[in-house]
Amino acid sequence: MNRPWRSDPHTLAGAYALDALAEADQISFERHLTGCEACRQETDGLREAAGRLAAATAVAPPPALRAAVLAEAARTRQSVPPAGRARRSPTDRRITMMLPPRLAVAVAGFAMLLALAVGALTVNTAHRLGLADARGNQIAAVLSAPDATMMRAHASDGATATVVMSHAEHTLVLTTAALPALPEGRAYEVWVMGAGWAHPAGLLPAPHNGMTAPIVVPALGAGDRIGLTVEPSSGSAHPTGPPVIMLNLPA
Amino acid sequence: MAWPGDRPARPRRPSDSITDLAALLAYVARGDEDAFATVYDRTSATVFGLVRRVLRDPAQSQEVTQEVMLDLWRTASRFDPGRATAMGWITMLAHRRAVDRVRSQQAAARREHGRPADGPDYDVVAEEVESHLDAERVRRCLDSLTELQRESVTLAYYSGYTYREVASLLGVAVGTVKTRMRDGLIRLRDCLGEQ
Repeated sequence: MNRPWRSDPHTLAGAYALDALAEADQISFERHLTGCEACRQETDGLREAAGRLAAATAVAPPPALRAAVLAEAARTRQSVPPAGRARRSPTDRRITMMLPPRLAVAVAGFAMLLALAVGALTVNTAHRLGLADARGNQIAAVLSAPDATMMRAHASDGATATVVMSHAEHTLVLTTAALPALPEGRAYEVWVMGAGWAHPAGLLPAPHNGMTAPIVVPALGAGDRIGLTVEPSSGSAHPTGPPVIMLNLPA
Repeated sequence: MAWPGDRPARPRRPSDSITDLAALLAYVARGDEDAFATVYDRTSATVFGLVRRVLRDPAQSQEVTQEVMLDLWRTASRFDPGRATAMGWITMLAHRRAVDRVRSQQAAARREHGRPADGPDYDVVAEEVESHLDAERVRRCLDSLTELQRESVTLAYYSGYTYREVASLLGVAVGTVKTRMRDGLIRLRDCLGEQ
């Protein structure tokens, strides 16, 4: 049987994004999507557009529903994240991680970060000597601050972000390891974020041996968060995509 | 390269950015009930309005809205910010639930009433809508579609018809409807992207 989508599966992307496929068609199309990254990306984009249609029909539910929903949630177990959530293309891998609050610094961990930072710096020094000096001083100021605190976040696919923060200096130093590689022309951009705003804090340098040289983020306020998004390698003024990493800093 | 040292004072913007909702979902995924309550407050009008638009029955709409919100609570860890915005993911949960319900329970009854009105019930749109501007933009963008694109998209999205049903309702070829749905969404996406 020669189903129409077999000749050009792309034509079903719109109907799929609108949930307008009958079950059999939907199963077939989803099978097709697993092997066609371009189709999946297009479908995600169209679904996003379709979802915006909901803005035109919004209407507040009866107030009593809120209490019922919250009570029911409190009684409902959450499902464990799927172990194989990493079924993604190399160009579209995203990570969300959250730092646990106030992870006391261990001296050993500190030394490790220093070695990591200095090691990565050394690799990069040749082509960024001017910056390295100024940043080196800032890094030293943070690392030697009496209240310096180290936090590390691990992601399911092995990426880590390590932060050493000094409240007294209002500054942190950020390094990452094993972040997914990005295609040509894209880079990770660091943001200081709060409720509804995001301020650019520099681009992550290209990794060496999987690690990125330390980034210094000054002028932090209480309750700020650090976010990482994928942007054009020239940097963006505002985040253009969702955060791939969010770090909650201790207040 | 712009290092952060010389950045100006931070601008403060309204707190309802999509980025923020994504961060809230990460808290929900860790079982944070306060974050869940905030997500409910921020999204329940969108969810309920959409579900009611598809189902039309207020009692069932409440029931399905509750199911959607519990889906959200249970499966927040599956939200993948690389593939969707937080609101996009939530409306997807809502739309799928609503469409499943309408197809399984109301299909027969609904078909007796024949073809529904086109498009969203603009009159029914709530006064308490969080973002009038967003709603306005959606309507403007819908108006920019061709008539067949708009009918194909809205009959599927707002009324829950399959593309084959839409084709027979509109009296056009199935292939045409598929194409118009895709073209229409592409145009909608491009129009909404200009913001």
